[in-house]
Amino acid sequence: MMIGKTVFYIIMLVGHVLTATAQHDNARKNDFVDGTFAFASYQGTLSILYVHNWRIGSSKRLGFGLGARFTSYLGANQYYITAPAELTSESTSPLIFFKENIEANIDSLLIESPQTNSINASINIDYRISPKLTVGFNIDAIGFSFGATKKGNYINGTQGKITEASPTAFNVLLISDNDRGSLNSELYFKYLYTNKWAIKTAAQFLFTEYTTETKVQQFPSPNDRFRNKSLLLAVGISYQLN
Amino acid sequence: MKKILNAFLFFTVMSCSPDDATPTTPVDNTPVNKMTATLLKQGVLMGVNHTASGTASIYEDNGNKIVFFDPFMSENGPDLKVYLSKDQKASEYIRLGQLKSTNGSQSYQVPAGTEISHYPFVYIWCEKYSVEFARAELK
Repeated sequence: MMIGKTVFYIIMLVGHVLTATAQHDNARKNDFVDGTFAFASYQGTLSILYVHNWRIGSSKRLGFGLGARFTSYLGANQYYITAPAELTSESTSPLIFFKENIEANIDSLLIESPQTNSINASINIDYRISPKLTVGFNIDAIGFSFGATKKGNYINGTQGKITEASPTAFNVLLISDNDRGSLNSELYFKYLYTNKWAIKTAAQFLFTEYTTETKVQQFPSPNDRFRNKSLLLAVGISYQLN
Repeated sequence: MKKILNAFLFFTVMSCSPDDATPTTPVDNTPVNKMTATLLKQGVLMGVNHTASGTASIYEDNGNKIVFFDPFMSENGPDLKVYLSKDQKASEYIRLGQLKSTNGSQSYQVPAGTEISHYPFVYIWCEKYSVEFARAELK
């Protein structure tokens, strides 16, 4: 009987500690899931993002989070251009962010119906302007892409050829054209209209990338990677998990 | 799922921008002096799933090779280009430029050094949408 009471008290104590910890975490963390639809001329995306945020500062207005995002991109007749920084800027230095592209080194790959899917780890930062309004920025950092092989029209000045290309498999965020693969990012506003649900609007900046079956570009050095940069208008909903 | 796809297509199409069509006025572009130029190849332009007709020729004049359409007419379309192609699928080609007009004679300079025997086809090609408008086999 004594042992039974002791076990009961231990369970109650552990339960109390766990509950207290959880309540404490609620104040310092928040998790949410976003569903976003973005569109621009002849292209669009559907994306789902999960973020675990740590609230920072005494007022907990600033949030920094990590998460994962699935992005599915669909386009029509999109031009992809030479991707590697060593060709577009003839440098891989972080300073290429401020450097103009070298047009003579840039060729095009026109893809009739590009469709890529990517799953990436992402980074989020946000700020609660008011209890109902949040502004934030998120960006994909690393992950992978998949999708069907597509026919592409490689265009190099006056010459061209038909080739095949697949989404570049490995994605990683570096600096400017040093990036590789398909990476999504958003500058967003969220308005919380219930305790759990928010509506969201965003400017979405998306890189998608295809790798051709052979190194179709030969000048100034062989290349098979071509990138499309898209700015899309996005709307979505967000669900607060805690 | 179907509703989501329809909504997706609706928003995507709604955001489409208008395309630039090819000029329709005759260009009367006749830089080929048929008295001095040599006719190298010629073929009949035929529409491919589009209305187009005419004659395509390649002349050599003072060392310059020129593709010449005369007579010529074509259905209009966006981003129409003139290609010289190695085969019937335009799998490897040379771009001669934007189609100047859907009507009337017009000429296109072939880039220097092009071995025209490797390019027996002339195409009118909608580049942006990868659609063939017309083709001529040059013999």
